[in-house]
Amino acid sequence: MNTDVALILLQDGLVNGAIYTLLATALVLVFSVTRVIFVPQGDLVAFTALTLSAFEAGQRPGTVWIVAFAAAGALSLEMIEAARQRDRARAVRSVLRFGVIPAVVILALFLVPKSAPLFWKMAVSAALITCLGALIYRIVFQPMAAASPLVLLIAAIATHLGLNSIGLHVFGPEGVRTEGFSGSPLALFGMIVTSQAAGVLASSVVVVAALYIFFRFSLRGRALLAAAHNRRGAEIVGISTVAAGRTVFVLAGLAAAVSGLLVGPTTTLYYDSGFILGLKGFVGAIVGGMAVFPLAAAGALLVGTVEAFASFWASAYRDVIVFLLIIPVLFWRSVSTLAPEDGLE
Amino acid sequence: MTRALVRFAPSIALALAALSPLVLPTYQVAVVTYVMIAAVACLGLVLMTGIAGMVSFGHAAFVGLGAYVSGYLSSQLGWPAWIGLACAVIAAALAAGLIGAITVRMSGHYLALATLCFGISFYFLVGNSEMLGRFNGLTGIAPVSVAGFELRSERQTYYLVLVMLVLVIAWCRQLLSSRTGRVLRSLRSGPVIAETFGANAHHYRLMAFVLAAVIGAVAGWLYAHVQRFLSPTPFGLTASIDYLFMTVIGGSGQIWGALLGAGLVTIIKHELQDVLKFVFGPTTRLELLVFAAIMIVVLQKARRGLWPFLEQRFATAIAPVAGIEPAILPRRRAKPAHGLTVLSASRLRRSFGGLLAVDGISFDVKGGEILGILGPNGAGKSTLFNLISGALSRSKGELSFLGSPSSKASARDMCRRGLSRTFQHAALVQDMTVLENVAIGATHLGRCGLFASSLRLDRVEERQLLGWSMHLLDRVGLADKAFELAGNLSLGHQRLVEIARALAADPVLLLLDEPAAGLRTNEKAVLADLLAELRAEGLAIVLVEHDMDFVFSLADRLMVMNFGRRIAVGRPEEVRADTGVQEAYLGVAA
Amino acid sequence: MKKTLIGLVTALTLVSAARAEVRIGVIVSATGPAASVGVTQQRTVPVLPQKLGGQDVRYILLDDASDTSTTVTNARKLITEEKVDAIVGPSLTPNSLALLDVIAESKTPMISLAGSALIVDPPVDKRRWVFKTPQSDAQMASIVLEHMKRKNIRSVGLIGFSDAYGEGWIKVMTGLLEGAGIKVVASERYQRTDTSVLGQILKITSQNPDAVFIAASGTPAALPQTTMVDRGYKGFVYQTHGVANNDFLRVGGKALEGTFVPAGPVLVAEQLPDSHPAKAAGLDFIKRYEAIPGAGARSTFAAYLWDAQLILNQAIAVASDRAKPGTEEFRIALRDAIENVKDVAGPNGVYNMSPNDHLGLDERSRVMTQIVGGEWRLVQ
Repeated sequence: MNTDVALILLQDGLVNGAIYTLLATALVLVFSVTRVIFVPQGDLVAFTALTLSAFEAGQRPGTVWIVAFAAAGALSLEMIEAARQRDRARAVRSVLRFGVIPAVVILALFLVPKSAPLFWKMAVSAALITCLGALIYRIVFQPMAAASPLVLLIAAIATHLGLNSIGLHVFGPEGVRTEGFSGSPLALFGMIVTSQAAGVLASSVVVVAALYIFFRFSLRGRALLAAAHNRRGAEIVGISTVAAGRTVFVLAGLAAAVSGLLVGPTTTLYYDSGFILGLKGFVGAIVGGMAVFPLAAAGALLVGTVEAFASFWASAYRDVIVFLLIIPVLFWRSVSTLAPEDGLE
Repeated sequence: MTRALVRFAPSIALALAALSPLVLPTYQVAVVTYVMIAAVACLGLVLMTGIAGMVSFGHAAFVGLGAYVSGYLSSQLGWPAWIGLACAVIAAALAAGLIGAITVRMSGHYLALATLCFGISFYFLVGNSEMLGRFNGLTGIAPVSVAGFELRSERQTYYLVLVMLVLVIAWCRQLLSSRTGRVLRSLRSGPVIAETFGANAHHYRLMAFVLAAVIGAVAGWLYAHVQRFLSPTPFGLTASIDYLFMTVIGGSGQIWGALLGAGLVTIIKHELQDVLKFVFGPTTRLELLVFAAIMIVVLQKARRGLWPFLEQRFATAIAPVAGIEPAILPRRRAKPAHGLTVLSASRLRRSFGGLLAVDGISFDVKGGEILGILGPNGAGKSTLFNLISGALSRSKGELSFLGSPSSKASARDMCRRGLSRTFQHAALVQDMTVLENVAIGATHLGRCGLFASSLRLDRVEERQLLGWSMHLLDRVGLADKAFELAGNLSLGHQRLVEIARALAADPVLLLLDEPAAGLRTNEKAVLADLLAELRAEGLAIVLVEHDMDFVFSLADRLMVMNFGRRIAVGRPEEVRADTGVQEAYLGVAA
Repeated sequence: MKKTLIGLVTALTLVSAARAEVRIGVIVSATGPAASVGVTQQRTVPVLPQKLGGQDVRYILLDDASDTSTTVTNARKLITEEKVDAIVGPSLTPNSLALLDVIAESKTPMISLAGSALIVDPPVDKRRWVFKTPQSDAQMASIVLEHMKRKNIRSVGLIGFSDAYGEGWIKVMTGLLEGAGIKVVASERYQRTDTSVLGQILKITSQNPDAVFIAASGTPAALPQTTMVDRGYKGFVYQTHGVANNDFLRVGGKALEGTFVPAGPVLVAEQLPDSHPAKAAGLDFIKRYEAIPGAGARSTFAAYLWDAQLILNQAIAVASDRAKPGTEEFRIALRDAIENVKDVAGPNGVYNMSPNDHLGLDERSRVMTQIVGGEWRLVQ
């Protein structure tokens, strides 16, 4: 292997790693506030690309029906609870939150014409997926917020299975590749970088930095974390854990949408691509101890890079190599962080 | 009536299981066979994830290991299935021993991910192995034969699987109710309890890991010889996740939960297609969506799993019927003579980062003496306890226990040498009975291990340990609660159970961290009497307590701490008169 | 007592009532990793003829979710509950192999829809009961080899799925290429859902082989090729018949221009000479398949199911003279009849089964096609 090949592989690894980084940070974000390992994050990424692709092909994306059904489900759950509590204000809020907002998004989808510029299609696709993130929280996780992390994980896996099944139904088994941003390749440090790759790298850096700053320095971010560590305490000082959970799921949905828009043009995505993407992100997130954004990013980049080189050396054993190389890193991380309370149980 | 029904439920279930193939159609028999194989695999996961608290994403790999070892020996070398079983079990134990040696030292998520890594690697290693038929699979595996008779048909394999399932369940039950099992069950809440009472938590975690792998391999062996075809797919990541699913849905940590979870998940997966056909037409692909919806609803309604949920609904009235007579241990540790120095500490120091939690503390405790430690919150009392008991290593200073220095003694060494303690926040295993919790204290007094308890050779010892625990429960006045779950006790009672557990270790030095917190006045009086009695027996007791009246009336000497330093020591009346103490702690200027 | 009970139950299960209709169990992988194969077959089942060989037919369709364990329980259900007379499927090689014992023990003939020759070779012992319709990998590979020889290719790079499909193909191709003195410069694997195959492609293109052979199916087969084109690879590219659907063309776009794809004749039925026996059957299948709502353009995978139905049509006509459907005698007769079908012209070729050949296809079952202008073109 010469330097040229190594450089190309490195670049490929970093770009893939950047995608995993986006997933890893979203996982850390959701986990640090709600203790949910949000397995379906990858599915949302894939769904974004599939939605946009259907749009581009002039079809009505099946996502519409997913969101419509989920919204109807969430709304009826809310209404039942509001009726039980005889809380009229809550009923009104719920109609706004789970009725009007999804309805507007779906309406927007019907209004955007076939000939509309790519940007609008992207915006609507992203809005749909963001809605879906919030709806998943309302339907699946909000009613069981106090459950143990292991039970939450199992619920997340169940959600993933459900999304997978519905994805096959509405998108079909074949893959898609969306149109990219136009733009000429850039020359960077002697490497030719496509604008798409540069976009992926840049936005993952921005997302990681933004989240790090948000949770480290902003009052709202610290409040969200506080809600995670001590539910009762947070509620006493006026932070609603429900609102905190909803906020991070909206953020996670948005992050998934952005990742999907970025990844879509670089590769083929399928209804079931999400799981393996999520898994690699999960590896990164755990290297970061499910808490530290920059470390999670580093872990994700490491996975991407090792993967690129392993595909070159011994492609049949690529995953064996990647996952066995992760173990010493895990060992080191586990020994250096004395936090048994972070376990799943 | 219900009570009798519940009590005989396992026998009734067994009888039903034994008879059902005679009436069920062949296909249903086959499905139940698969349910039982999955249940065996899940039992392994119950031990590892539910009992010992280590989440595994790689369990299917051990199932696969067992299946492929026996499958290979049978199809390629023509070895009989029973030798295959032995080889499968040995291979799984060796592999798990090796992998476990690396992974069980990791905590929480790291361990979960490490198991996932091994699970995925197994899938690709098998898929790329020419010897094992690559991704196409391995055919030509012989059925199990019993006394020359081959078990081929659905009904025959059903009974093979049923027998193995019953054996594994019986073994697990036997194991979990033994001395070893009690330690395993304490691991879910962390290594602290095990270590405090003289058991090597790491060793037990490894044991749970290996046991899970071995049980998984047995399930794999069954799968290989029932299915008689192997491919890597049923042992990949999705399969591991399925097992985890079944275990959690059934109620992780519950033996019967494994059965329930395996049954529910397998049957739903197999039968849903038929039901949904009528709703969505023959070309439906929405089975998984409906499956997922059912699972989510179950998890939302029964967060601890189905078995605990049902148990709560229908079987609240059952109490284990066991006649355990209080008994004193035949051989007890000799108590130190009155006035002999049991523990002496000099210039103990411990810092966390820049913060000095304990700063140069010196003191000693004598046999037949109660030393009270006072100090405001954050004064370093609990850290001091952790330093003495070996739970924390000290930055500087000397400790000697019964005359011999304890330079780098761990919590478990200290326990074996005669130190025992309670915790500031009651640390009982919530889903174990009170009696079993107390018996954990006596762990280091027993000798019988995994094999002895598997073969039921531990009965005499068990009777002694449980009798001794019963005796101590009697002393703290909770004998009538012996068979209740510890989690159902009031906080005050939990503290008393902790004291009984600490005493079960038969210590010479007892460290009590706020034992009277949460007790009612009359309970405090009982506790004070007990401590006085223990003192009379020659025990050395160190007591951290906020209840002034309690400490002042009981302690022989007092030590007052503030900001990690000792500010006074002496008899209660001397300390009460000390102006420094009054300013710093009692908050009144004299 | 117990013994009599067992005897009674066994007797009851053995005496299966003869019935008027023929029952065919169909097992496909409509969900899971192989969904792109199975979905097309699944949606074809409702348009299969309701009468075969003059008998009423009922199809019982089950999805195995691409999982071998589920396949086996599905087959047991079909055999013991539904008492099917034959099984069509499963869609995948490992799943078909998993059924060898079950079907042999229950004496139920099976027509597999999976590629590997391992399923029917040798057709003795358990495999007496198994037939298959898809051209075997070796048959398809030989036409690729001939084509490569004609193009005077001296070195080839291989890349395929890291699963049964990819492994099967690469094994066969490697053997053939080495036998013909063509050098295999690299043999790489990737996974269906991979987002990048740059590492593998770099390894192949760094050797600059005359041709690259991609052993993958459906849209995921496009990724190696687009990556190669991005890296500026200019040699010949061969795919397998697993890619033969329009989604592949859509996803691969311009990068696929000029690719050679061996395929069943159905893929280019319109372009076949009228003398080709598969033309009429192919066009008939295409007409019916493309009329299914949401089905899109033709699928060679669905055509295998169609072939199976045509074989059964001839065989049931023979078997129903000898025994009543629903009996063991009928299943035995059906197996014998399938083993002797002659000149069944299906969309994928002409089937002539024999005791030595449970596939029965000859060279009329494959054609070489090329992607030109975003369409499949028959290479003469």
